[in-house]
Amino acid sequence: MTLEGCSKRFGERLALRKATLAVEPGETVVLLGPNGAGKSTLLRLAAGLLRPTAGHARIDGVDAVDAPRAMRAGMAYAGHRSQLYRGLTARENLALHARLHGRALDLDAALAAVGLADRADERIDGFSRGMLQRLALARATAHDPVLLLLDEPASGLDADGRALLDGALMDGHGRRTQLVASHDADLPARLGARAVRLDAGRLA
Amino acid sequence: MIGAALALARVKLVLELRRREVVFAMLLFVAATIVIVHFALRADEGAGPRAAAGMLWAAVVFTAVLGLLRAFAAEAEEGALDALLLAPVDRAAIWLGSALAQLGFLVVVELVAVPLWWLLFFQEGGPEPLPVIAALLLANIGIALVGTLAAGLALGARTRDVLLPVLVLPLAIPLVLAGVTATYGAFGEEGGGFGPLGPLGFLALYDLIFLALAWGTSEHLLGD
Repeated sequence: MTLEGCSKRFGERLALRKATLAVEPGETVVLLGPNGAGKSTLLRLAAGLLRPTAGHARIDGVDAVDAPRAMRAGMAYAGHRSQLYRGLTARENLALHARLHGRALDLDAALAAVGLADRADERIDGFSRGMLQRLALARATAHDPVLLLLDEPASGLDADGRALLDGALMDGHGRRTQLVASHDADLPARLGARAVRLDAGRLA
Repeated sequence: MIGAALALARVKLVLELRRREVVFAMLLFVAATIVIVHFALRADEGAGPRAAAGMLWAAVVFTAVLGLLRAFAAEAEEGALDALLLAPVDRAAIWLGSALAQLGFLVVVELVAVPLWWLLFFQEGGPEPLPVIAALLLANIGIALVGTLAAGLALGARTRDVLLPVLVLPLAIPLVLAGVTATYGAFGEEGGGFGPLGPLGFLALYDLIFLALAWGTSEHLLGD
């Protein structure tokens, strides 16, 4: 996954300035920076959910916004919001995800892995922020993506949830490409990952 | 692609069954419109087929816009659209699934609205039912296709609640004209104006054109 001189402007505001970053296959990179630094914008560009104002965001040499279906099948992105349907149950949300990915997933195992086995059939509009984050993590990792993009995945998680998240990231380390935006300055050391700092839209 | 679209349509219908946010508002609006116009036109003294036909179709179109304003509301709540855009399915499936759900909502609403219209406007007589039902079904398909496309187009706009009717209503005018003509014709009156196709043929052609247009453009409309 590469960003080559990527800039993104929203109206008058330049959220990202000529960012260049390469994440090698199997590598884990932690993106650190204060609120408003441009971390979410960078991740959304990497996922192909935003088109850069200048430069290129590429996955395997293909512009991320034009990623074909086969490439999207191996990607996962979890942002600030859970990307789930609030009126559905946890199980129904994962079942829809499996259906869209054409995979027969073990939903019980996926829910148990994030500690939600006993809440599987509850509608998620009653879930706390931390429970939504857990389910979002289950959704993002359920289809075993080769590229995982996570935007502040620890926000709202309790200590057990953070341990689950660390476990999932360590499990993927070396096995898939991971780019994680975080405020946790200790996370790179815990994961043995490369840290990259972003400040006011500029990569340090 | 059809499987993904059906899965999404099913999700939207399940959400509506559980939350009753869209269809209930549509039903209330269409019933209130029909009742108010019934009394305003003194329909029980004979409003005339053209006024009755026009009233039905105006109510249908404005009610449809009400539903379309919520076409992607479930996806907006928690950013589910991002997950759909990154899923390995044709993005046309997202549009088609939403359009199928809108079609379902419209059919449910009309199952109440049309008998009410019939009851209030035609104590005796009335139009032939089959052409009216056929026109409504064909127009529903067109409204759902075009309206969901416009809802996708307006999705990123801050003023989408204003933009959507501005986009949908001009595109729906041909549907309304053909629908009114078909309904008027169902009274045995000469509607005219749609050449050899007739109003029902025109509605079917409109549906096919916008199905192809929306299919081809939804990939770009739903992205950044």
